[in-house]
Amino acid sequence: MAKRAQLVHGSADKTRKRLSSREKRDAAAFIGFTFPNFLLLGVFVFWPIIYSLYLSFFRWNMIAPRKTFIGLANYRTMIGDAVFWQSMRNTLVLAAAVVVVKIGIALFLATLLNRKMRMRGAYRAIIFSPTFTTSVAIAMVWGWIFDPNFGLLRVFINAVGLRSPNWLGDVQWALPAIIIVVIWSGVGYDMVIFLAGLTNISQEYYDAAQVDGATPWQCFWRITVPLLSPTTFFLTIVSVIGALKAFDIVAIMTEGGPLNSTNVIVYYIYQNAFQWFKTGYASALAVVLFAIIMIITLAQTRLSKRWVHY
Amino acid sequence: MKAMRYLLLIALILALPVGLWAAGSREAQASGPVKIVYWRSLTGVAGEAQDELVKRFNASQDRVIVEAQFQGAYAELNQKLLAGLAAGAVPDVVLLDSPFVALFAKDGVLAPLDAFVRSDRSGFKLADFIPGLLQDGYHENKLYALPFMRSTPLLYYNREMFREAGLPDRAPRTWDEFRDFSRRLTVVSGGETTRFGAAFTTSTTTAHWYFQAAVYAYGGLVSDEKFNVKLTEAPALAAATLWQDMVFKDKTAFGSLDPHTEFLNRRVGMVFGSTGSMGNLFSRATFPVAAGFMPGQVKNLVPVGGAVLAVTSTDKNRQAAAWEFIKYMTNADSQAYLVPRTGYMPNSQSSINHPEVVAYFSQYPERKVAIDQLVHTRPQASVISLGKGTELLRQLVEKLLVGNVAPARALAEAKADLEKEYNETYK
Repeated sequence: MAKRAQLVHGSADKTRKRLSSREKRDAAAFIGFTFPNFLLLGVFVFWPIIYSLYLSFFRWNMIAPRKTFIGLANYRTMIGDAVFWQSMRNTLVLAAAVVVVKIGIALFLATLLNRKMRMRGAYRAIIFSPTFTTSVAIAMVWGWIFDPNFGLLRVFINAVGLRSPNWLGDVQWALPAIIIVVIWSGVGYDMVIFLAGLTNISQEYYDAAQVDGATPWQCFWRITVPLLSPTTFFLTIVSVIGALKAFDIVAIMTEGGPLNSTNVIVYYIYQNAFQWFKTGYASALAVVLFAIIMIITLAQTRLSKRWVHY
Repeated sequence: MKAMRYLLLIALILALPVGLWAAGSREAQASGPVKIVYWRSLTGVAGEAQDELVKRFNASQDRVIVEAQFQGAYAELNQKLLAGLAAGAVPDVVLLDSPFVALFAKDGVLAPLDAFVRSDRSGFKLADFIPGLLQDGYHENKLYALPFMRSTPLLYYNREMFREAGLPDRAPRTWDEFRDFSRRLTVVSGGETTRFGAAFTTSTTTAHWYFQAAVYAYGGLVSDEKFNVKLTEAPALAAATLWQDMVFKDKTAFGSLDPHTEFLNRRVGMVFGSTGSMGNLFSRATFPVAAGFMPGQVKNLVPVGGAVLAVTSTDKNRQAAAWEFIKYMTNADSQAYLVPRTGYMPNSQSSINHPEVVAYFSQYPERKVAIDQLVHTRPQASVISLGKGTELLRQLVEKLLVGNVAPARALAEAKADLEKEYNETYK
């Protein structure tokens, strides 16, 4: 690695004076191949980000020909906006629950289904299946499962002698219900990634540990968990960002209610922008979400050095 | 040399959308029939009926071709219209939830129709429309929309349950009677309520509408034409208190995102619904359903709802084509097709007198409530046309029925929110 880097460096030194025709060609090729990508990213990612930032300083309803500049007023409104804080809190609760519970269950399932057993492929396929099911269908079916009168869940809860809560209609239970659905629909994907990670762990470690008399429990904590840490790290980042962007399940199952108990930040942005015609305020919220995602991702990358072993 | 080729490639990629755009605009300029796009909403019979009417319009003449595009529920259609406006690509005709006419007209999105009405030589008569239904097509004395699928809120009840409970076979006449009926319909077994008297909707599209109806019945207003919010006055307080007491004191009713499903599943005896729900509820219920007026109290008066047709194209040629289309959609023959299938109210005097409509109501006299209620209507509250107006009233209903917030406080908060919204976005 080091040697090659030096070589590249060396050649760069030489061409500081004059680019050879070969390098010119390479540069043109580079531009040619990357330009379409930059164009797409520019139009659909970078420009919207910049434009959102711009719009966040205005009051605008998307229809009126004129935008009113109001400086930081949208951001000040946010500080006193109880629904913003509640949706922020709900989003973080969702993210925390998803990371801890979903990844935990996925790891458990992956180690379970990594062993040789009958019908292993079928189990894996079943657990993975929510991944390729549209979230709208998932939300609709779970809406019925949670129905306090006819729902499937009620049957199980009554069977153990408890009374089924009014899941989606109750301020206390609606967010847990959403969390259950998000976990259920995402756990299969995480499991498959863990399975891929597990196949990368050489059997030799386990053999050696067994020779030394390690218990399966010790093998799991001392070999599997540390060597899976890059996978866990990847899943943590993806899950947190996914949870921060949660929208579809909430939109269909609860519309953010009752009383905003399941409102999440992206749904609140959507409500402001497209239901209530508050484009400027929605843009300000989007800018804040952007900043939060960036901070969390940077923090995770920093912290990961302490616990991720490559 | 190779670099040149890459540059050429890039130029080609860049030119592609331009070329497509040019091809598209050329198509639009071609002579022959004018092609216009109609954005429709609503599903089930109400959606299919619109598609059929579009087909009939296209077959009836050769100057205009309409393409109907389904855009989801009213709210979703509004959202797509917003996005379309921001992107500079709008349809020609839209089906609008009636309160939104003012919101879009205010910022110049809708084409005024007065010039078309004046210069029309086809025998079109504006005066034929029911005045109460035409009224909310106006904004600042200009006409922007024609009444199409208009509705009023109604009360639907399960006749079987009414019989079982020993109630008369009619809708409750007052809100006090509604409360009493609800109590007598409720069934409690083993400490759990297995059947409720009524369910109130807390969903975005209609929560505000039934609450407005209750306030009207108590002789009040949600807001007047000048956007003075009247929610802290006695009628609104009385309506709010009764609704909340039914949920938390009597425990004979509850707030639900989907009360019609509860009704069809025999979980509740009474629900509110639009006249436009008649077709769906009557055909899907496995028990006899009847429709009646909303309860009165000191008055029989309901806010009129449903959809109007408005023109959004900016091009003169297309506007003229759109005018032909909405004229067709709102004429008596089209209403004679629409009304019996969907339950919506006939929009004009000539459609009420249309032989097919007359025959329909003599065959189903129980559905005649749709016409009978016509005389007891007034437009919705002015605050509904604020961007967040329906939502703030929905939040009020949710606070009352789910949050158990004291009515006086919930109403005062709603009033303050609505006034703030008006000052910030509308004034």
